[in-house]
Amino acid sequence: MVEKLEEAVGVIRQFLLLVACAVPVLVSAQVDSLTQFKKKVLDAVEVDVLMSYYQQEGIHAAVTGGLGNEYLTDYSPSIVVRMPVKEDAIITADVGLSAYTSASSSNGNPFNRTGASNTGEDGENYPRGSQGGSPPQGSPWIASTGASRKDVLTTVNIGYQKASDDRNHYWGVNLGGSLEYDYESFNAGVSYAQLWNEKNTELSLKGQVYLDRWKPIIPTELHEYESFQETFLYNKQSYFRGVSIIDNQGNSVAAYRPDRFESYTSVHRNSFAVSIGLSQVLSPKLQGAIFADIVRQEGLLSNPLQRVYFEDRSDYYVGNFRTLGNYDSTDNTDLFHLADDVERLPTSRLKTPLGMRLNYYLNEYVVLRSYLRYYRDDWGVKSNTLQIELPIRFNLAWKFVPIYRYYNQTAATYFAPYNSHLSSSDFYTSDYDLAQFNSHQWGFSIGYRSVFSALKFLDFGLKAAQMRAQVYNRSDGLSAFVVSTAFQFVLDQ
Amino acid sequence: MMMGKFLLQKIFQSMKQFKVGLLLMFLCSSCTVVKEYNKVAINDQDMELSAFPCERFETNFQIYREAAAGANGGKTGGGCGCN
Repeated sequence: MVEKLEEAVGVIRQFLLLVACAVPVLVSAQVDSLTQFKKKVLDAVEVDVLMSYYQQEGIHAAVTGGLGNEYLTDYSPSIVVRMPVKEDAIITADVGLSAYTSASSSNGNPFNRTGASNTGEDGENYPRGSQGGSPPQGSPWIASTGASRKDVLTTVNIGYQKASDDRNHYWGVNLGGSLEYDYESFNAGVSYAQLWNEKNTELSLKGQVYLDRWKPIIPTELHEYESFQETFLYNKQSYFRGVSIIDNQGNSVAAYRPDRFESYTSVHRNSFAVSIGLSQVLSPKLQGAIFADIVRQEGLLSNPLQRVYFEDRSDYYVGNFRTLGNYDSTDNTDLFHLADDVERLPTSRLKTPLGMRLNYYLNEYVVLRSYLRYYRDDWGVKSNTLQIELPIRFNLAWKFVPIYRYYNQTAATYFAPYNSHLSSSDFYTSDYDLAQFNSHQWGFSIGYRSVFSALKFLDFGLKAAQMRAQVYNRSDGLSAFVVSTAFQFVLDQ
Repeated sequence: MMMGKFLLQKIFQSMKQFKVGLLLMFLCSSCTVVKEYNKVAINDQDMELSAFPCERFETNFQIYREAAAGANGGKTGGGCGCN
């Protein structure tokens, strides 16, 4: 009996010993299995270095009332840094600059190029004092040397995104802002995404608020008229003191009265956007997504620098009357039409775009990417967009992508060309971005991907690189060229 | 409060269009569940349902030069568009 008891105790001891040995192993295995299958959302710090050069030419500058030089160049470098926070979260910092020169914007004061104007207390755009005997000359076709000819837009955005342990739920927040000479913008947003159906279906929701503020620059002649009213042709402080203003018969007159113009009482522009997206894997080689946005904008939605000319008001000019017959030609170098007002647009706008992406994996060499969008808003604009990309892979590292994009839109209710608005209207603009047109954009992209990030820069390896070059032609005569590059680096572990 | 109510009303209005797409998507999805091990093609970088990093610059100038914007997973507002 005692032997049996001792034997049983021995078995129990052996069992306990086994359990004692097994528990750490099991626990360890459990921990390992958890860590093994909980893949990090982001493995290492990633840095994207992005650069872009954009150039456009056109003949419908909005600053000079829908007629004039639209030449513009823009250079935009930016850096995006993504940092993992433990296994589940990512912080993204996006900092960028956009340095532009614009012939159109420069003509807020079109008379600066002569050097006749003096820089006054308000800066180059609103110079003060007499002309010193040299009559001012301006033209909508020639860029002025005023301060508004160039500017730098600075943008900063910070985002945080967290994933659930099963990677089926993602939520995020973001904060950001941008700053340029006459415009400030602050934005904040939240996002949520849920996957289900074995990660074949994803629903995403996003809310974004933009709180913007203008620091309005208005055309020189309107600013001076507002400042000095009827005395603006002889007040000592007026830029137009002693300047000859001529009518369309060539007579020097004092009848120029842009009395429709009045300063803005509110300089705020707020945008509220809600976005819904649903993506679905449709087959092992096909997946698609649909996106719907609702964007409500309120406040100062017009641009204070953009002139408007009324058909039913007399025309007044500064410069050489003999050029009047060629006013709408680039031969006009010395005659400028004084504005009747700046553009006026409603203080609210509701945009409802609906987009769809559909991507098909033809084979290991070719993928078809497509994007389709229908857009409408309560300003009367309806639009369709179609974009096709065809990534063609030469090998594991290199690919070539032909790109084509077609776009069309109807005109906004408030649009009319140069000098054809009626002064009795409440709202008017001659900005051709709101006109009826279609556009074709085509080009290519070259992509490089390094599986092992073999190319090293400091502690970073080059993971991928891309260059895109595009030509853009709008049916109203605007043409543009954009080339951009992206280099993606990953921090060596 | 008013803004929230207004946005909700508009969301429901535009949901009519959205529901058609949603319905089609779900009809398709109900037929197929692709297993993770069968998603080699789906997980290809070029199959991503978003724009490439470089594309942000094109989207940016399009927002300036065209009246339409949004519904592409990118920026939907903000900025003066004054160039």
